[in-house]
Amino acid sequence: MKYILLMSGMKVGVESYLAWSQKDRDAHMAVLQRIARELTASGEFVATQGLAVPQEAKVVRGEKSAMPVTDGVFPESKEFLLGYWIVDVATPERAYAIAGRISAAPGPGGVPTNVPIEVRGFASYPEVASSSSEEITRGAKRI
Amino acid sequence: MKFILMMTGKMADWDEYTKWSKEDLERNVTFMRAFSKELKDSGVFVATEGLAAPGEAKIVRAGKDGEPITDGVFPESKEFLAGYWIIDVESPEQAYKIAARASTAPGPGGKPGRMPIEVRQVLSGHADLGL
Repeated sequence: MKYILLMSGMKVGVESYLAWSQKDRDAHMAVLQRIARELTASGEFVATQGLAVPQEAKVVRGEKSAMPVTDGVFPESKEFLLGYWIVDVATPERAYAIAGRISAAPGPGGVPTNVPIEVRGFASYPEVASSSSEEITRGAKRI
Repeated sequence: MKFILMMTGKMADWDEYTKWSKEDLERNVTFMRAFSKELKDSGVFVATEGLAAPGEAKIVRAGKDGEPITDGVFPESKEFLAGYWIIDVESPEQAYKIAARASTAPGPGGKPGRMPIEVRQVLSGHADLGL
């Protein structure tokens, strides 16, 4: 079963992260590296991606002409995706355990960040489903 | 440059979506399939995923003993990730253009949904994680 573990934060959280000492950052990354290595070794690792800081984020809507309308104004409370891990595990509990370990990665002074990690499953994706319309509909409903 | 295009929605949006007619759903899915094919054909496609409905979403925090603490209670205003595309393009403007196209995916009655698509640069590779 594939799960995606989403780490999000508000702009202020990102700003405080950027103010961490190099030592704190190294200690944090060392734990995330160990987790990534272990997931690779156990065959549970699928993908991970870190996103650039949210200061550059844009929201795009398509106009009638399909020309993009961009905007970069967000409410202060907006949660930005910071990064994610995709894991392929035997049970949801295993996904929660991995998320718990990521959440326990050390922050300033070695204290666990306790950052909340959102754990979500995947929809059966219509692109890979057979082309019968019934299956497409079923796939779409689960998105 | 790699960018991620994210579709998000509130729980209420999912409830709406499950009420779409079969015809509307098919029209939307046909668009999405054609869109993915275009991205692949033009060589900018990296990855795409659709997420399961947020009814099963959990938030996990580490407890003191390292055991995960799970919770599935979210504020109504919470924006959930619905799906994403990762593309590899020459410029942010190209990413915005592609996002705008995703935003025009048809909604009920075939009208463009004009869904907001969040565009963010992704860090190339994950050298910091040793990957």
